[in-house]
Amino acid sequence: MPPITLLALIIGIPSILLLAYVFIRGSTGLRRYILTRIVLTLPMVFILGTLVFFILRVLPGDPVSSALGPKGTPEMIASVRTQLGLNDPLIVQYGRFLWQMVTLKFGNSLVGGHRPIIAEMSERFPATLELIIPASVLALIIGIFGGTLAASKRKKVTDYIFRIYAVVIYSLPIFWLGLILQLFFGVKLGWLPISGRIDPIIGTTLVTHTNIYFIDSLITGNWPAFLSVLQHLVLPTITLGLIQSGLFVRITRANVIETMQMDYIAAARARGIREKVLIYGHALKNAMIPVITLIGLQVAILLAGAVLTESVFSWPGMGSYLVERISARDYNAVQSVITVFAMLVALISLAVDVIYSLVDPRVRY
Amino acid sequence: MANQIENLPNTPPEGANWESDLKKVGFVRRLLRARHWYGADWWFVLISSIAVIGFIIVAIFPGLFAPYSPDALVGPRFLAPGEEAALSVLVVPSSASYSNLKELAAGEGSTRPRIGVVQGSSTAGDLNTQAQLIDQKLKEQGNGVRFRPVIARYASLDLALQAVADGTDSAAVVQSTEFVSVKAKFTTLREADSLTGETAGSFALGTNDIGQDLLSRLIWGTRIALIIGFTSAILSLFLGVPLGLLAGFLGGAFDRILSLVMDSLYAFPGLILAIAIAAVLGPSILNIIIAISVLYIPTYYRIVRGQTLSVKQEVYIEAAQSIGARRPEILGRYILPNVIPSVFIIFSVNIADAILTGAGLSFLGLGLPPTIADWGIDLARGQRFIQTAPWMITYPGIAIVLVVLSFTLMGEGLTEIFNPKLRDR
Amino acid sequence: MADDILYSVRNLTVDYKTRGGIVHAVDNVSLDIRRGEILGLVGESGCGKSTFGKALMRLHDGPASIPNGELWFDGQDLMKVPMKDMPAIRGADIGMVFQDPMTSLNPVQSIMEHLTETIQTHEPKVSDAAAHARAEDLVERLGIRHERLKEYPHQMSGGMRQRVMISLALALRAKLVIADEPTTSLDVIVEAKFLDLLKELQEEFNLTILLITHNIGVVAEVCDRVAVMYAAKMVEVGSVEAVFADPKHPYTQGLLRSVPNIKLDEGDLYKMGGEPPSLLHPPTGCRFHPRCPKAMDICSREEPAFESVAGEQLASCWLYQKADGKQKVTNG
Repeated sequence: MPPITLLALIIGIPSILLLAYVFIRGSTGLRRYILTRIVLTLPMVFILGTLVFFILRVLPGDPVSSALGPKGTPEMIASVRTQLGLNDPLIVQYGRFLWQMVTLKFGNSLVGGHRPIIAEMSERFPATLELIIPASVLALIIGIFGGTLAASKRKKVTDYIFRIYAVVIYSLPIFWLGLILQLFFGVKLGWLPISGRIDPIIGTTLVTHTNIYFIDSLITGNWPAFLSVLQHLVLPTITLGLIQSGLFVRITRANVIETMQMDYIAAARARGIREKVLIYGHALKNAMIPVITLIGLQVAILLAGAVLTESVFSWPGMGSYLVERISARDYNAVQSVITVFAMLVALISLAVDVIYSLVDPRVRY
Repeated sequence: MANQIENLPNTPPEGANWESDLKKVGFVRRLLRARHWYGADWWFVLISSIAVIGFIIVAIFPGLFAPYSPDALVGPRFLAPGEEAALSVLVVPSSASYSNLKELAAGEGSTRPRIGVVQGSSTAGDLNTQAQLIDQKLKEQGNGVRFRPVIARYASLDLALQAVADGTDSAAVVQSTEFVSVKAKFTTLREADSLTGETAGSFALGTNDIGQDLLSRLIWGTRIALIIGFTSAILSLFLGVPLGLLAGFLGGAFDRILSLVMDSLYAFPGLILAIAIAAVLGPSILNIIIAISVLYIPTYYRIVRGQTLSVKQEVYIEAAQSIGARRPEILGRYILPNVIPSVFIIFSVNIADAILTGAGLSFLGLGLPPTIADWGIDLARGQRFIQTAPWMITYPGIAIVLVVLSFTLMGEGLTEIFNPKLRDR
Repeated sequence: MADDILYSVRNLTVDYKTRGGIVHAVDNVSLDIRRGEILGLVGESGCGKSTFGKALMRLHDGPASIPNGELWFDGQDLMKVPMKDMPAIRGADIGMVFQDPMTSLNPVQSIMEHLTETIQTHEPKVSDAAAHARAEDLVERLGIRHERLKEYPHQMSGGMRQRVMISLALALRAKLVIADEPTTSLDVIVEAKFLDLLKELQEEFNLTILLITHNIGVVAEVCDRVAVMYAAKMVEVGSVEAVFADPKHPYTQGLLRSVPNIKLDEGDLYKMGGEPPSLLHPPTGCRFHPRCPKAMDICSREEPAFESVAGEQLASCWLYQKADGKQKVTNG
């Protein structure tokens, strides 16, 4: 089974189950809301794709001549342009581009083995997932607990510590944080590996099904590989997770503080509800509604951070694929990767909205 | 009690309205007096503003602060911060009357001075080059004095020095750092001048893989960082604010289409978009600025459009319209002043973000030509030598953090001051 | 202390720390609330009446504090109760109904969750089923069909929500209900219905209610006694009949005359001159003297005592006191 299919099953089945649950349990309003939201995702993908297309075409600068460099004769340039279909009218190119987006058939890579781009991406994509999922979980844990703690100790030392933490984290270049972690834990202390997803020698023993090494090593029971995968995950996860957590702390803190000033919190306090319950039960649950939306908007930070993290840790994911292909001037691959990123953004924001609807009864009913 | 957050009455009772108190004084005094009301955030803004001004001065006059040119190869490669560079020095008997090569020069026909070197060390080459230079000059003067030393090669440092101590050789040329370690054994010898006459240099932040001074590169890098930050922020501001004003003010199809595009742009990961743009445009400072400025247009657009809409709803705009104010006048006199505070906050955060994105792009090897003194480029270069020269990645990163932190702190302080929702009491 | 007094407030001061300095939002106020009565507390907005109501449950923090005062509730001084034990009293012995029913209910909790949470917080041993049964029983008595319990606040009307708020205050048979402007955000018809309900409940449950309002009409309609506050001070207390028939304090007189009344001609409607004073820098002496039509010399120099002027009617005004033989009696 090709890895991408398995992956689609792993992500797809739970999401379909979740949607089914929502449809059975939810009211008519909720069903209509989610349907509308799914339908609305299509124009978003369409607009993002169009944006990518026009930025790559309309800007001055010719990818082909810069790809071939000074050695490229006019004849060579012309032949590559024809091969890429760059000489067709813009509208024809645009139509073809949209069709590629729908069918996910991005054509072949211009360099190396000229493999289909979708095949190359199906190897890289799981690596990116393996990085961003634990990093986001880490960021959410730090963000929600830190933010709530800071809000509950407002104007006390804990609050200031978390506020400073958020500002400093926000000012850290992610690649530098990665380098410093490498320097300290990898070079100085020698505790953790500083690049790659798995030890190259152990890697040869790993049978891959999904290309998510964590899952592969787990289902095949390959414990040395599993250990190696975990070791390799630590530093990139911390890097990407910490960078995101700063913003999550800020957002959570601000929203919990705002919610704690609401009348219904005062009313609940007047009914004798204890402070701990007020903060972690009432306020946090209400604050999570805007927090989820805002966190959804931070997908951009997550993906941009993933590109840099992958680059620092030589992590063979989508981000390093993009950077490699830009250096190799593989125009086709670059356009495809960016399009896939655009689709990812649209899908994640859809997922966030569905979760949002489950938390907020005002949407649910 | 300790856990209770801001309780009931969120506003102090009437009569405690201090804001009216502030309105009575002039602008400068209002700023000064504000520190009592805003507390920590006022100090954030003050300190970060001073830091920002400092960075701007450094960026305008990097030559005044940097000891060397950023591109000059001024020292040995991989010299650690503060460590002295090893120089080829002349070691002579303590009693000797001469301290440099020139003083060893002698008239034609007299005995040529014997100078010892260690076999296989770089000192032999240095001596040769220097001797030829001196001899060339003496020859041009033409008064019969020449400098053509006999170079004696020894298997070890000790042997070479012993020869000087014994009087076999007039002097020896050795590495200054090596002589320090064996000095105690040769009490009759002293370290004279260095071969070239220059004193041993050390570099506060060390040197990089090709012998450039990192401190100078860091200082010159401020210029690039601030140029990228300010120019791209100003570009986005000048595009985003008018578009937001127009969309909010005109409404209709123009607003709807533009908002759709801007929202999509906003949702898209900025760095990836910048990577795409920079990749198409090719590496140059101008292109990196264009790539980054596109990213921030939606942020200004969204805020300004939202505020324009809400200001437009307010009665006084209707009143202004009813007394016959023209549209540009309404925009300029009623709407613009209301959006300026938020634009100012975004601007300072925008600069911070632009510097980060710029550094990220050049770290990836996109955007800037690799010869430029830029923090991101220095970091990318340092990554390759993380094992041997960790200082190459420490300091450029700290520089980025400091500059970005000052702009972020300024934005943070301004937000707390301007945004009453989160304002601390 | 007499047995018929449920809550006796003695010399209560509530301070707010603001950037302009410390503000006494409630300044040395004493008041008795009798068992089974509806006591109206009136005053202009910002006079400290809401702060006073919240202070009765010690619901104050952050910028607010109680530097002195005694809060004798049912024979116990609440100021001496450790703060961590206050939640046990809030909701169980003293309930509160807030001004805005639209924002006073948690939007992500169903009505049932509100009620069962309140019941089980104070009586942890009550089973879920029993709590549900009690909640259903309670809301039915308030005229809400129990099927509506599973609904969320945003699905209910303002009047309905205010009933829910009352049911929450009554869930544990509170002895005292503090209602802080409960009808301000309701329209007139809903307000009338609500006031009828309040009156019914008071008789049925033998409730004691402190009704904080700026609406003199509401006081006339439902209250037994009335207390008037001005600029953080209590200026007059007495039975509704006595105070409305013969207001003693010039502020009360002005307040009553400024109420629109169908019987009055338009020209008779009184407009009080001046503005309420700044609490940051309150006037010396009697705080009302800058606006008082009957101000005397002494009024700006010395503060009058709050004492009986006619039987159980108390007022704080120099018109009824002598400067020299003053006795600082401060009972309500």
